[in-house]
Amino acid sequence: MSASSQSANADQPSFLERNQFLIYRLFSLAGLVPVGAFLVVHLLTNASVLGGPEVFQSRVDMIHSLGPLLPVVEWAFIFLPMIFHAAVGMAIIAGGLPNVGSYPYSGNIRYTLQRVTGMIAFAFILWHIWQLHAMGKPLGGGAFDPHHAASTASAALRPMAVAVLYAIGVLSAVYHLSNGLWSLGVTWGIWTSPAAMRRASWLSVAVGVALGAAGLGGLAGMRMVDVDEARAVEGRMAEARELLEGKVAPQAADASGVSDPAH
Amino acid sequence: MIRAVDGHSDGSGAAAVGTSAKATPESLRVRVLRQDSPGRESYWECHVIPYEPNMNVISILQKIAARSTTEDGRKVAPVAWDCNCLEEVCGSCTMLVNGRTRMACTALVDRLVEEQPEEIVLEPMSKFPVVRDLMVDRRRVFHSLGRVKAWVPIDGSYDQGPGPRISPEEQEDAYPLSTCISCGCCMEACPQFTKVEVQRMEGESVEAFEARRTAAFDKNFLGAHAISQAMLFNSHPTGKMIADERLEALTDRGGIQMCGNAQNCVAVCPKSIPLTRSIARAGRAATLWAIRRFFDR
Repeated sequence: MSASSQSANADQPSFLERNQFLIYRLFSLAGLVPVGAFLVVHLLTNASVLGGPEVFQSRVDMIHSLGPLLPVVEWAFIFLPMIFHAAVGMAIIAGGLPNVGSYPYSGNIRYTLQRVTGMIAFAFILWHIWQLHAMGKPLGGGAFDPHHAASTASAALRPMAVAVLYAIGVLSAVYHLSNGLWSLGVTWGIWTSPAAMRRASWLSVAVGVALGAAGLGGLAGMRMVDVDEARAVEGRMAEARELLEGKVAPQAADASGVSDPAH
Repeated sequence: MIRAVDGHSDGSGAAAVGTSAKATPESLRVRVLRQDSPGRESYWECHVIPYEPNMNVISILQKIAARSTTEDGRKVAPVAWDCNCLEEVCGSCTMLVNGRTRMACTALVDRLVEEQPEEIVLEPMSKFPVVRDLMVDRRRVFHSLGRVKAWVPIDGSYDQGPGPRISPEEQEDAYPLSTCISCGCCMEACPQFTKVEVQRMEGESVEAFEARRTAAFDKNFLGAHAISQAMLFNSHPTGKMIADERLEALTDRGGIQMCGNAQNCVAVCPKSIPLTRSIARAGRAATLWAIRRFFDR
């Protein structure tokens, strides 16, 4: 009798179990939008440094023009969806039993890599946020200054070990997104036949190569920045911005305007 | 070629085989993972049996059973295994041959020796509870089919007449799915499919134990075969009358969402069933069904 009443209690599905399908679908969607979309924007923004510190600074200024809204946007569209995606992803990884040793098929290898790169990307992102994001400042990180975008990023990425870890982290994230895109297409039933899946895998390779190039290009571009020269450029741009925003008194602005031709 | 082999005079008879290919072994070393009863420790045991041309894993097991003597000469109980049709139709002889899931009846020894000459390794499936040696309890395979109502509902109190006609195109699409033999290979190879083994507790009634086991099955992954069968019957003109019930089951706990797209199922399926196509179609159907259910209720 006691055994049967125990089992009756155990039968009650939890909230997570009852909504498993919905949660897994939201997990899949979140990986593409907004998290994947953010990765694309982020890597392209970084790659703009290849056009010089002033191009990168203007992109960063555009993002930071959101002002006090920026943290709200960050949390709503980046951090919270990413935390959700990571939490569900870890539960999925914990429930799986990778077996590439016995079944070394390409699909299975991609399945296993998807999990490995997900974990690497997660660890990398935590470190990356601590190292460069303003939230890392109380913990001794937060080295990125949005008013001196290229110079501070360049200085932070200068050590070879940091650059190597960044390359691994960025490529993991890129693999995870591009292979995840293919997997998402199967999950949602966008491509259903084996032939369509093969075509889709070329799409995923193309996305991966393009994003990987943007990511590594951005990383190399940051490290090639001449920090002193970038500081000067960023200083001039900050002055101009303050002038535009009216933060600087007109006289001071005039003065700087007069002194400009002398430069 | 008939050789009198009494099992203990290995080398003598083997010389007669000399006319066949030079790589032909005289004897076969077979390593078997044994287990005496459910829940007991498993252990490895080696058997050496004389080679004959055109053997399969079932004939190896028959020879092992006939000898019931290990490599080091110990008399042991015969190795137990499941088989029935011997032509890859019944689905009962699934086991791990050299570490990979397949049907023992179509695992030809000559091919196995080409791949791995040293020994043939036989293990029970790892995702199902072992009953004894190579016999496993595959009831979860059939339980999953029940969960998705993998049948055409025609029971009633009167003759419902003939069903609608099925076009040749639809037949061609459905036929491969109908060749599923419920062998469990797709589940065994799936990294998302994990073993559910429920042990009967001290003093637990049979009914309570079975209810507990059913509950455990119900919240775990269906497996590729059941998803494919659900799509087969959802494409059948009479079967699709309960299409929504199958989609309900596919999107319930342990449903289609558990698939991780490793696509091992389609790679190991002995009947070459397009399982991943069924899974993707089920994914599409589930997407549309979920949207419909959300906005139409």
